[in-house]
Amino acid sequence: MGPGERMVEPRYSNWTALRAVESARMLAACTACGACFEACPMIAYVPAAQGASAADTVRGVLAMLQGGQGDEAARGWVAACTRSAVCVPACPEAVDPMLLLRLAKFTAQENGTIPPRDAKDAMSRVKAFARLGFSETEQKEWL
Amino acid sequence: MTDALFWYGCNMTRHAEIIRLGTHMLEAVGVAAAPTGGPSACCGSPKESTPRIAEGMANRTMNSFNESGAKQVITWCPTCHMNLDDFMGATQGKQAESAHLAQALWQRRAALVPLLTQPVARRVLIDMHIGNGTGVNEAVPGLLRLIPGVTVLDHPYRAPSYMCFGLASIPGALADAKSNMLAAMEATGADTLVTIFHSCHRELVGLERTHGIRVLNWVHLLAEGMGLPYEDEYKAWRNSDDPEALIGAERIAAAGEEAVRKLVLPELTRPR
Repeated sequence: MGPGERMVEPRYSNWTALRAVESARMLAACTACGACFEACPMIAYVPAAQGASAADTVRGVLAMLQGGQGDEAARGWVAACTRSAVCVPACPEAVDPMLLLRLAKFTAQENGTIPPRDAKDAMSRVKAFARLGFSETEQKEWL
Repeated sequence: MTDALFWYGCNMTRHAEIIRLGTHMLEAVGVAAAPTGGPSACCGSPKESTPRIAEGMANRTMNSFNESGAKQVITWCPTCHMNLDDFMGATQGKQAESAHLAQALWQRRAALVPLLTQPVARRVLIDMHIGNGTGVNEAVPGLLRLIPGVTVLDHPYRAPSYMCFGLASIPGALADAKSNMLAAMEATGADTLVTIFHSCHRELVGLERTHGIRVLNWVHLLAEGMGLPYEDEYKAWRNSDDPEALIGAERIAAAGEEAVRKLVLPELTRPR
């Protein structure tokens, strides 16, 4: 492989295109059967999802993907997704529900449906630990 | 021109010794990898709640990888690893092969085995999580079984998520994972809990003080088998009654007293 050659070519021009194409694909493929919800190990930690209809909750996530509010169970599930990935093989339509929830979370955080993660100090903390643990040479070469 | 990069991520700055050991181990099996990470080599994940900013960070990092000429990117952080293949690779393309450190070492185990000369008498249970696409759940047990004296115990429990980080912000989830892992240790007769990722190590090292078990990262254990010295300062700080005194005034001053007081000490002194 020569300089500048890529071993993997980009499939999308940017994240906006990726989100648009993948969202359209998932909206077309998902039948809201609820298999992803039933497989998810995090449902136990979503109070609003206890006893909720799997199909209705998935429809709520699809609504959030399109900029809607979803219902309380859907909002709680999207917020609690930790990418266990159990939903991926559980889906009979190869939707990739883990990506569905992730993209729904992007949109929901952008439009204020769910609060954004507070990461304002994350990078300052990373730097502070580096200054404590790395030598001066390591700080110069590793960061 | 760099032959390979060891992309350790950002939150690994808490664990400098793991970066040093990982780099040394790669070199020992024939991979000269330059460590890179921190905010300037971010995958964008910490800013995903603002995707436009996350995209900018990810693009900058991917461009620097592609421009470095590196033929391999050896990862540590599972979030970075997954982002490299999905959002970053899908939108920027990839010039380098990528593998997690555990996979890279496992693939070169023929060169590693002769270096594992020191017996390590431990019965270990690995803090396994359900999800991750990094291949570590297969590679780490294999690597630990190469260390003379180590017994790797099997238990079916797998914690949700792909590392402890995601669980920490969900009420009850991390506490359940700790409790289930301790029960699995008791059921198997394990004396040592082995963490795979940094966020798990960060969350679980406190069990050493509260439950009388040993908590080591898999890289630490491999280092012991190779006879490599190391010091897990994060664990020592986290389990100290007075981490400020343990770190020492001189280091705190050099790192910036205000930042250490605001950002570091609250993490080290939070409930275990």
